[in-house]
Amino acid sequence: MAQQSAEPIAQQTETKQGATAIVADNVHVTYADGTEAVTGVDLTVRDGEFFGFLGPNGAGKTTTIKALVTLLHPTAGRIRVHGHDTQNDPQAVRESVGYMAQETSVDEELTARENLQFVCELYGVPPEAREERIENLLELGGLTAVADKRAETYSGGMKKRLDAATALIHRPPVLFLDEPTTGLDPQARIEFWEYLRSLNDCGTTIFLTTQYLEEVDRLCDRLGIIQDGEILTTATPEALKKAVGGDILELTVPDDGQINRAAEAVREVETLREPTIEQQSGGLTVTAENIRDSVNDLFLTFHERGLTITGFDVRSPTLDDVFVQLTGQRPDAEESDTDEPGKTNQRVDTLEAAQ
Amino acid sequence: MSNADDRQLSGAKPARAPGRSFFADVRISLRRWLRKTSRNPFVTFFSLIQPVIFFVLMAEVFGAIADGSVAGAVGSDVHYITFLAPAIIIQSALAAAAVSGIGLVDDMETGMFAKTLVSPMDRGAMFLGKALSEVVRITVQTLIILVLGYLLLLGKGEATGTNYVETGIGGIVGIVLIAVVFGGVFMAYSNIVALLTRDREATIMIANLLTFPLLFVSSAFLPLDVLPGWIQTAAVYNPITYGVDGIRALMLGEDVMTILDVTAFSGLWNSVVPAVGVLLAFNVVLGAVAIHLLNRASRAEVQ
Repeated sequence: MAQQSAEPIAQQTETKQGATAIVADNVHVTYADGTEAVTGVDLTVRDGEFFGFLGPNGAGKTTTIKALVTLLHPTAGRIRVHGHDTQNDPQAVRESVGYMAQETSVDEELTARENLQFVCELYGVPPEAREERIENLLELGGLTAVADKRAETYSGGMKKRLDAATALIHRPPVLFLDEPTTGLDPQARIEFWEYLRSLNDCGTTIFLTTQYLEEVDRLCDRLGIIQDGEILTTATPEALKKAVGGDILELTVPDDGQINRAAEAVREVETLREPTIEQQSGGLTVTAENIRDSVNDLFLTFHERGLTITGFDVRSPTLDDVFVQLTGQRPDAEESDTDEPGKTNQRVDTLEAAQ
Repeated sequence: MSNADDRQLSGAKPARAPGRSFFADVRISLRRWLRKTSRNPFVTFFSLIQPVIFFVLMAEVFGAIADGSVAGAVGSDVHYITFLAPAIIIQSALAAAAVSGIGLVDDMETGMFAKTLVSPMDRGAMFLGKALSEVVRITVQTLIILVLGYLLLLGKGEATGTNYVETGIGGIVGIVLIAVVFGGVFMAYSNIVALLTRDREATIMIANLLTFPLLFVSSAFLPLDVLPGWIQTAAVYNPITYGVDGIRALMLGEDVMTILDVTAFSGLWNSVVPAVGVLLAFNVVLGAVAIHLLNRASRAEVQ
């Protein structure tokens, strides 16, 4: 095992082709104070997969990821990571994973280089491989110039990049990232994405939680959506977007008094199949499979009824739409606890009906 | 569930990176903590400066009046500086040990605690390495104070080399060992406070509040038999009394302990053996509580 980490990443996981990197079976986590943070999570992540884990704050993302990396023990259920049981053989799991916590975790009294050296020692990275890896990761994180300054002098983004480097340096076959790009500037985020892509291309399984839907959309092969401690769905981003029920039309009217009339007009367009119409202040959101074919008819109907339209925007569904439809809220919404469950269920029903 | 966790933390099941020994893990942890200590020379300096100021001032102020009571207790050939040195050694060990929990709280706040828990490092080795870094610090501080005491005596024209540490090199080793065992008591105590409060400021404040009065309610500055009855009673339950008496016996080469009348051994051993015994007992009790709390914290490293 010790020599394993000296080998290229691709070889590390080769032997496990076709295996599952992560299996969670009906995992429950209840905290000492009685909070049921996770209530029955089932997950399967294949080897080499890039898996995104989405959910509003308080949904149980961090609790789940902590259980997966052996920081928390499930109250019920089993977890296997890289073929090892997290409870029977946590040591083997720890040797197989890299973990980047949501809160930036670096030793601020030490320099970037010393932080990386310490992690090399923690994971038994062969001494002869250390220097090169450290230099490469410092370079990648844009930290070469400050490598020998204490981390307490770094900006938030620099600390974050150092933290990421410490999660990668032992080249773990399974990588867990809890909101890794929060706090990074756009340029750094894109560079980090590219790096994660290249790691994944080399065979590293990546499990990533995020609030940036764009991140999941660009990176992940599959994603799971969690709310109130339960997984609502897992699918590919494409399938989920399809499930939203077609393209989306955002319609803006000059004053709210016209919203009802506009909605009536939309319903009247016969070529539009089974539209879902949501009314909100300022206008309507219409979802239907063939909106693009009905644009002319829509305009004609508005014209006939003498309606003024100030905005007309047809677009393909994004994961934002999926997320809103599934959870009833934006991914960056502050609280999930206040959300009444009925509302969520109703939306899930809508989704299922659409499918 | 908790049984499995306890097993894992106590090291019954090997928990370390492949091909690496428990001691290698201890060394890794020790190196990190020593490096961190060296990053803050001021912290080390200030935990020494208070004992040093005490040493100089008390030797001057109390020395002027204490010689009589010291002579009554331990003999007229003992200078107050020699009598006081063990108290200052204990004070500095206490100052170093009582802030031990801060490193732990800091690690929890910065996420380094969780980071180490997720790694293959043996958890027992991780804490042992940290404790050893404090042992190193206590050792260095103890030696500095011993030298300082000698210089003070020299300044008084009293030093002859034989009436400072009567038991010689062996005695100095013994003094360091007692200081370390004593330090263990308050390291455990400080970590208990840290784990219960999870708060840096609270850990520092409780450490400071405690150290000062405890020193006076002991045999540190004057022989107990010249002190009020309630202090004599309280001193029996104060670990400082045992640390000071153990070291003092080694310095003076005689039995100085008055709280426990042990005669089973000969001479100074009638002080050293019970002192070390009591300190070890404190270590076991407080250490067990600290380990229990650490286990709990390692198990649920959340909020």
